[in-house]
Amino acid sequence: MKNNWWKILGVIILFYVIIVGMIVPLKPGIVDSSPKTVSAGHDIELTIETYNTHLNKAKDLNIFLKFSDDQIISAKSGDIHDYNHLTATFDIPIEIKSETSIANATLIIDNEIDGPALLPKAVFVKDIDKTRSADVWIGDIRPKLHVKDDFAFPYRSVIHETVRNTFFHVAIWMAMFALLIVSVINSILFMIKKDMKYDHISNGFTSVAIVFGLAGIATGMIWAKYTWGAYWTADIKLNMAAVTLLLYLAYWLLRSSIDDLDTKARLAAMYNIFAFVALIPLLIIIPRLTDSLHPGSGGNPAMGGEDLDNTLRMVFYPAIIGLTLLGTWMANLYIRYQKISSELLEREIDSEYS
Amino acid sequence: MLEKIRPGILLSLLLIPQFIFAESGQDFLRSTGKIYVVVVVICILFLAIVLFLARLDSKIRKIEKILNK
Repeated sequence: MKNNWWKILGVIILFYVIIVGMIVPLKPGIVDSSPKTVSAGHDIELTIETYNTHLNKAKDLNIFLKFSDDQIISAKSGDIHDYNHLTATFDIPIEIKSETSIANATLIIDNEIDGPALLPKAVFVKDIDKTRSADVWIGDIRPKLHVKDDFAFPYRSVIHETVRNTFFHVAIWMAMFALLIVSVINSILFMIKKDMKYDHISNGFTSVAIVFGLAGIATGMIWAKYTWGAYWTADIKLNMAAVTLLLYLAYWLLRSSIDDLDTKARLAAMYNIFAFVALIPLLIIIPRLTDSLHPGSGGNPAMGGEDLDNTLRMVFYPAIIGLTLLGTWMANLYIRYQKISSELLEREIDSEYS
Repeated sequence: MLEKIRPGILLSLLLIPQFIFAESGQDFLRSTGKIYVVVVVICILFLAIVLFLARLDSKIRKIEKILNK
C-alpha cells in the first residue's frame, strides 16, 4: 500500500477533474447579435441571443455599445423576450473618434444576477466623422457593472461548453508528453548502462504514451466534427500530430519485427530517442510558427497563457497530473506483466533442459 | 449481484437532483439536474476502468509473489 499511494492519488485527482470539470457552469455570454452594420447617425435595433443568463428575472439590466474606453453609449430602449433573447435600440452618433473609417463597437449586457457579458465587434458603423467625438457618451461604466466573483468557466464563442474539453483532450496530450519524457530518459539510460530493465521501462511508457496519443487524436476528431464540421482539416497542428503519432507507431513495428532481445532493446532505444527529438520541432515548434484554426493559435498550439483562465487552470493542471499518474499506473502494470511473462518463459525453457 | 442493484442505484441517484434543483425545463440554465446524470455516468465508467486496473494489479502481484519465492 505504501508503494501504491500515487495510484490512488491519480484516481482521486481524476474524480475531482470529472466532477468539477463537468459541473462548474460557464460565465454568461452573448451568442450573437444582428444586424452587424449600420450607418452613422441612424438608429439600430439589435436582436440579441445570450447564453447562461436570466434576462427576464433581472431587475437592473443595462445594455451598452462601447467604441473605446471613453466612447460608450447606452441603449435608448429594449425589449426582453425570455431568459436569453432580447432586442435593444441604440442611437448611433455620427462623430466617433476612430483610427479606421469604419468604427466597431463591443456589445455589453450587464445585470445584477449574471454579471456582464460581452461580444466584441458586434456592430460596425460606417460613414462616421472620425475626426470629432460626439457628446453623447455616458462615461466610465465600470463602477456600474455587477462584476461577479463566483467560480465559473469563461464563455468563448463557438467553443461554448466544449471548453471543458481542455481537461480531457488537451490534458491527455500533455500527459502523453510527460510519459514520453520518462521513456526517452530511460532509453538514454539504456544506451549508457545497457541494463535491460531500462528497456522494459521505456517500452512500457512509450506504449502507454502511444495509446494516449491515439486517444488524443480520436477525441480531437470528434470535437472537430461538431465544432468545425469535419473530422479532419488541413491544419498544421493536426497534421503534425498525425506525423508524430505515425513515428511512434513505427516504434511498435520496430520492436515486433526483431526477435533477438538485445538487438531489439538497442534499436528500440535508439529509435525512441530519435522519435522524441523529432517530436520537439513537429509538435511544439512548427505549429507555433503559423496561425491555425485549432484553439490557442496565433503562436501557441495549446491553450496557453491567453486562452487559459485562472478558473480553467484549477482543473486543467490537476487533470494533467491525474492523467500522467494514471498513465504511469498503466505503464507500471505493462512492465510488470512483461517481466513475469519473460520470467515464466525462462523457467519453462530451464525446466525443459533440466 | 451488483448488476441487479446497479439500475436501482442509478435511478435513485437520478431522483436526487430533481429535489435539490426546482428550476428546470423552461428556465434552462446552469444546472438542469441532467448534467448531474452525465457526471454520475462518467464517474461509473471511470470507476469501472479503475477497478479493472486494480484487479489486474493484484493478479500480477500474486504471480510476482509466487515467482519471487
